[in-house]
Amino acid sequence: MRDLFSIARKEIIIALRERLVVSLGIIILLLLGVALYAGYLSYSQQSRIIAEKQQEKRQEWLGQGDKHPHIAAHYGTFVFKPKTILSVFDFGLDTYTGTSIYLEAHHQHEFMFRPAQDHSSMIRFGELSAALVLHVLLPLLIIFLAFSSFTKEKETGTLKLLLSQGVSYATITWGKVLAYGVALVVILAPYIAGMFILATFSVSSSFIPDVALRTILLVVVYMLYIFIFLSLAVWVSLRSATGRNALLTLLACWIFLVILMPKTVANLSESFHTLPSMRAFKEAIQNDIRDGVDGQTPRSVRRGKLEKEYLQKYQVDSVHQLPFNFEGVSMQAGEEYGNMVYDIHWKKLRDIFHRQNRMGSIASIFNPYLAVQHLSMALSATDMHTAIDFEDKVETYRRELVRKMNNDMAQNSRYGEFYEYKASIDLWNEVEDFSYVVPSAFEILQYYKLEMISIVGWSILIILLLNYSNRKSKPIHG
Amino acid sequence: MDNAIKTLIRYEWISFARNRFQLLMIGVTFLFGLYAIYYGQSEIDAQRNVIKEIMEMEQGEFKTYQASFKREPETVEEEQNHDIASNPAFAWYRHGYHAILPPHDYAALAIGQRDLFRYYYRLTGMSLHYQLFENELANPVNLLAGNFDLSFVIVYLLPLLIIAFCYGLYSGEKENGTLPLLHIQSVTISRIVVIRLLFYFTLITGLAILMSLIGLISSGSVFKPENRLPALLWVVGVIIYTAFWFGLLFLIVSYRKSSSFNAITAAGCWLFFLIVIPSVLNIVVTTMYPLSSTTLASLTRRTGFENEDDEEETKEVIMEFLAHKPELAGSDSLIRNNRLAKAYAAFTSLKDINSQQEVDHYNEQVNKRNDWTTHFHWINPAVSMQDVFTHIVHTDLNTFLRFQDALAVFHGKITDFYFQKLFRDQPILFEDYSRLPSFQMDEDTHRYTTASGNILKISLLAILFVMAGLVQIKKKNLI
Repeated sequence: MRDLFSIARKEIIIALRERLVVSLGIIILLLLGVALYAGYLSYSQQSRIIAEKQQEKRQEWLGQGDKHPHIAAHYGTFVFKPKTILSVFDFGLDTYTGTSIYLEAHHQHEFMFRPAQDHSSMIRFGELSAALVLHVLLPLLIIFLAFSSFTKEKETGTLKLLLSQGVSYATITWGKVLAYGVALVVILAPYIAGMFILATFSVSSSFIPDVALRTILLVVVYMLYIFIFLSLAVWVSLRSATGRNALLTLLACWIFLVILMPKTVANLSESFHTLPSMRAFKEAIQNDIRDGVDGQTPRSVRRGKLEKEYLQKYQVDSVHQLPFNFEGVSMQAGEEYGNMVYDIHWKKLRDIFHRQNRMGSIASIFNPYLAVQHLSMALSATDMHTAIDFEDKVETYRRELVRKMNNDMAQNSRYGEFYEYKASIDLWNEVEDFSYVVPSAFEILQYYKLEMISIVGWSILIILLLNYSNRKSKPIHG
Repeated sequence: MDNAIKTLIRYEWISFARNRFQLLMIGVTFLFGLYAIYYGQSEIDAQRNVIKEIMEMEQGEFKTYQASFKREPETVEEEQNHDIASNPAFAWYRHGYHAILPPHDYAALAIGQRDLFRYYYRLTGMSLHYQLFENELANPVNLLAGNFDLSFVIVYLLPLLIIAFCYGLYSGEKENGTLPLLHIQSVTISRIVVIRLLFYFTLITGLAILMSLIGLISSGSVFKPENRLPALLWVVGVIIYTAFWFGLLFLIVSYRKSSSFNAITAAGCWLFFLIVIPSVLNIVVTTMYPLSSTTLASLTRRTGFENEDDEEETKEVIMEFLAHKPELAGSDSLIRNNRLAKAYAAFTSLKDINSQQEVDHYNEQVNKRNDWTTHFHWINPAVSMQDVFTHIVHTDLNTFLRFQDALAVFHGKITDFYFQKLFRDQPILFEDYSRLPSFQMDEDTHRYTTASGNILKISLLAILFVMAGLVQIKKKNLI
């Protein structure tokens, strides 16, 4: 045990003497600081605007004056995608998912305005976030720190000296891993502490209740990630004859895992499962609503059937004799038919998304970078599943809003009249303001089983590899 | 060329050809290049298919309208079709025209922002802003990952190849113990290093040009007038970009440090140019020019009259609209006919007029961001190169902003066409279908000057590095 610590201490001293490594460490620290600061600035800017606008839209809805409920349903309202406090850490998909949506009767709109559209193509080089620093840049620091950990001892002959002193390979290896691990944790500690404070004391993020838990999980995920890269670097160094070889091998791994593979997987998924164009997608929905899903029951036929049903049910000869406004019932039936058609087409579209992203999940088994990227987004609530959950809840809200309007019209107005009936603020008040709470961390993690298996699997694999190589390595090879 | 140089090149070639690892790297990069070309083309082909499909939809729509003039309507549907075809009160908001930004032949090589922005719009005479802000369907996860196109291979991967080949040019000799042998030759060490660098420069630039030519030729004829200049600029750009990286490597090597030091420094530079600088600039520009699309969102709201039956309310709106339109002067006497259609036409047009300022302001902000980031192309050769590529193949942000402007003009043409008929109570005739409004977008004459300017900047940087390298390597000539 004493050997382990003295080796660890020696490694840290050596690392501190390497000017290049130290300056790289400082740069990474600075970048991390800049990323968090800028992330926080844009978070507070955006969340302030969004809160204001959301409030404004609510006031518009309440203050729209007296009008017919169906006109109000068309007037509708807007929902803006809120920013989570954890997006300060990982922007995730926020730049590429739409940010606002118009809610009105008959139409299920899509989210508009992807923030990336306000940038030149430079945005495709990525945005500096703390997550980017940690999962893209930090592995490089680790590589530069650890690539020569064994090769240098071999090249200078100190490895033989160490082994002749009775120190085992295992002690040397774990001593080195421990040293680098401690160094990195010390570097990152202020940020981790800062994250905790930010996360637990921020009051404004009521829609993401389990911030503390998510932060802890984030720390665990990144710790494992750092451990995987660190051990990998030490292992490669142990197996390489020269520092040059170790460095090249590790850099090649990094490029493959971090730069090439994610892009390739995403592009392949796009080629295997192609998306329809928006125009064709909408056309198909409109056709189905017009002619019926089977193409045989157009709107007029559906309305006729509904009318007959109601006349029979209430034992009357004309819709005028019904105790409520049939127009409202018919409107709501039309709405529900539309919803059903939308659901069919949206499900198809979502299936394509899921199949595409599934390829990413499977790829993450072979690539800890992808696994950590996905988990980090999931825990920061900036991933695809949280975005989809948000969209679904917005849509449920829209349907409820329209249903309330149509029901009110059916109950309170008379058939054949339109402008004669006006609803008032009491009805508008019945529609509650939209409020969103993200799913809990555990619910979201359900979607990321493969990713979790991946990082745990990689951690175990790398320990086994190191132990195996420790046993197999003979001093003679040193 | 004297004998010593010939010998040097011959032996460099032999040592290169015998190094399996280096051959493998060249081969893998070449395969990546081919895949990138294939991927880009399949992506752009998909867009071409969408455009074709859309044009067929539009032609189908207008064929139905034209056919309805040919014979007497028999069914209710046929009658409705004829109404939509001939009555401007329906036609102005039912007839849909597609404005399309067809991909340039070489868009496949640098997809740029083409997967993010819409390249087609269906426009009717209704409020432009209802129709402008809808997104194209896309998987955000894949948008984030970006495109594996040829520009990616050149901008990201080629520099890595250059680093892998050149970081040990001097230090390798030192570490292998062959340096003293070189010192006793008649050729100076600095000369040897330069010649070896030139050897690899020829090799790797050759590879890059080969990949580019395959991409260019397979994506569209290089002899077409609209392709000639882009193809030329592409190739020149590639040469200058590799020259820049060789210049940088030369400077690093000229400090005569160890191989590991060189590799780390070169990899660090790569990281800076390709990840750190752009990502920092992106976040700085986001916070410096905060943009909120929430104001634009409100423009998509479908509002209407308080009471359509209220003659006064609708009349007022029509009169307000006509005040903006001198070309419709005199049509106010006809207000009573088709009043509601006119009222709605006036209503949505007024909405556009009133909200134009907000849209302009927003676009101005986007432009400001774009301009601000352009200032940093000097320190940012990788982004600069990407910018050159997207400019010459028409996939840059500017193209899409100009497309939006052209859309507004086109929308103006559409409304003029229908409103002349609507407000003057004239039916749409069969003959009118031969002079329907059509979409046009002028060629941006600046794009090639911008691209050349960027190439010039990169070449200046390249020259700067080479000069610095020459000065450095001439210092202390002996170990």
